[in-house]
Amino acid sequence: MDHLTPPRPVLSFHGNGRDLFVVVIVNWLLTLVTFGLYYPWAKARKLQYLYQHTELAGHPFHFHGTGREMFIGFIKAVVLFGIIIAGAFALGYHTIPQLGQLVVFVAGLILFPLIVHGTLRYRLARSSWRGIHFGYRGERSALYTLCLREGLAVLLTLGFYLPWFIIAVRNYTIGHMRYGDSRFAYKGNGGDLFLLNLKGQLLTIFTLGIYWFWWRRDRFHYWVDHFSWSVPNGPTLRFRGTARGEGFFKLLVGNVLLVVFTLGIGIPWAQVRYMRFNFRHIEMVGEADLDAIAQTEAEHKDATADDLGDLMDIGIFL
Amino acid sequence: MSSGVKAIYYDGLVSRPREARVEVREPDALQVDVLDADGREEDRFYWPLEDKGLQWERSAGALRLSFGAHPRRVVIVREELFIRAFVQRMQYTGRRGVYDRLVSTAGRGPILFFLGVIALLVAGYLWVIPWGAERLALLMPRDMDRELGEMVYTSMADELKVDSARTAALQAFGDALRLSDHYELKYHVVDDPQVNAFALPGGHIVVFTGILEKMDRPEQLAGLLAHEATHVEARHSMRALVRGMGSYLFLSLLLGDVSAVVGTVAQHADNIRNLGYSRALETEADAVGQQRMHANGVDPQGMVWLLELLEEEAGDLPEAVSFLSSHPLTKERIEKAEERAQKMGAPAQVDTALAAPFRVLKGKEE
Repeated sequence: MDHLTPPRPVLSFHGNGRDLFVVVIVNWLLTLVTFGLYYPWAKARKLQYLYQHTELAGHPFHFHGTGREMFIGFIKAVVLFGIIIAGAFALGYHTIPQLGQLVVFVAGLILFPLIVHGTLRYRLARSSWRGIHFGYRGERSALYTLCLREGLAVLLTLGFYLPWFIIAVRNYTIGHMRYGDSRFAYKGNGGDLFLLNLKGQLLTIFTLGIYWFWWRRDRFHYWVDHFSWSVPNGPTLRFRGTARGEGFFKLLVGNVLLVVFTLGIGIPWAQVRYMRFNFRHIEMVGEADLDAIAQTEAEHKDATADDLGDLMDIGIFL
Repeated sequence: MSSGVKAIYYDGLVSRPREARVEVREPDALQVDVLDADGREEDRFYWPLEDKGLQWERSAGALRLSFGAHPRRVVIVREELFIRAFVQRMQYTGRRGVYDRLVSTAGRGPILFFLGVIALLVAGYLWVIPWGAERLALLMPRDMDRELGEMVYTSMADELKVDSARTAALQAFGDALRLSDHYELKYHVVDDPQVNAFALPGGHIVVFTGILEKMDRPEQLAGLLAHEATHVEARHSMRALVRGMGSYLFLSLLLGDVSAVVGTVAQHADNIRNLGYSRALETEADAVGQQRMHANGVDPQGMVWLLELLEEEAGDLPEAVSFLSSHPLTKERIEKAEERAQKMGAPAQVDTALAAPFRVLKGKEE
């Protein structure tokens, strides 16, 4: 059946730079005059804008998170973050400064799975499409075990094992994402990613950096091509990246110029270009009944990990 | 066939979008007709408009209505006329939030709005923050100045070569004058060729032997001590500190996410502005110091003589450097001090208790 339906882009972004700029600038102003306390509301507003302007098969996503929820998470995250920093200072001040740094590093390692887990749980539970919520069914302890085992291997191999680590986390987390009673999967392979990166790195050096954009394309395709979505009683939907190196070149160089020559005012326009480009180059292969997916996920409103991730500057792809 | 406007309905149970018709049923309910595949009415429900379980929001050119508890039923309307009428009706009861107002203002001219915000921030930085910081500094207990000064003095005491005999003489000289109402002034003479002196918050005043050697009249020394004591009495250090922290906090809040380059530029801008502020404080120390001198029976002309001595010393500094220096252009200071001294005139009663300790300080007498 698969080859009979022509693949087509299913995701699209309908926001524009001007509107996003308005959202961002009002957020910025309110965050400033409240000495940063408005931050969670600002974040919720921006996410709402981005989700509501993203459509899958002609229907928009919806972000249900609210500033209030995120504020509670924000306060908890700030307190937790403050305790870590204070602990590091207390230790570092009385003994050696390196010990303080070590505390922050170890705390970061311990917190990473916690943040990934919590953010996925919150973000997905608060996202919906056609009235059906997404969800994350991964277990914190399993993610810990995985991160500890794979992370140790990264340390022992002085970083060589990193692609395997990344893929293991991706396979696990995406494999536990749900949309109603449908499920997602990611079947990547650390060795493939390692070779892809090796090739990308070498060619980038040989071509004096020009190949970087094609490397970027390869990584994008690797992401998209190993992602799948299974609808109950239906075929598994696959995805295919259709971006080209030239496309990434135009997008990224254009964005850098857009940001630099406007002294940063152009950031929302750059972000819109980026999202449009990425979504336009994801095609769905196969046909399935998207109308019969049933609601399964319960409500979940704890945003602590999401805010903690922001404080520690960990970017998660949602 | 329902008469309402076209809408899309999600029932919250399965992902199937359904066609629907929506209309407001006066006095206070929303009627939703869910249609089947052939466009025939299949299901109908009402929802009270004032009910908390009804949520609505405008987004991406559509109106999103949702009802009840999780999993919520959702209706999306794109009919502009309906949206406008509905929003107007719902806002009739409640007030429009700050956020919506800001968004609609910003939406009319985003760049202009942005520039307006920038102008406000600059004004805040130049006037509001310093004003607030000044207020805050004066609210702090004076004991804080003392503790801070004590801490700084202890931390630097090891590196200062204190001349104890002359320190005693300077203390006697200072005690003969009433220079501070709130602080106990502690004077120290330090063996150092620099032509300089400084005051710490809370009362420590350090005078280098370099400047003592240049002096030939007790009035000059009285001028110096009166100037430094004013820094202490008027809490200049604390004020400068709180101001500095205030504007630093403001800038880092503002530019927190911006690149290091912008940060560095901002820091330099802040430093230059602080120099301007310290010039204002020096002028204040001169003026108030002269009043103190006059009140203590010392000729305020002494300040002029002191400044002339400093001018000779700083004579080789080029103009451009002194523009950025923390002390105002010495010539200007001398002129102003001269003016004030003329206005005050010589004191009626001259304090003679200063001559003896001054001779000791100059090493002419043991």
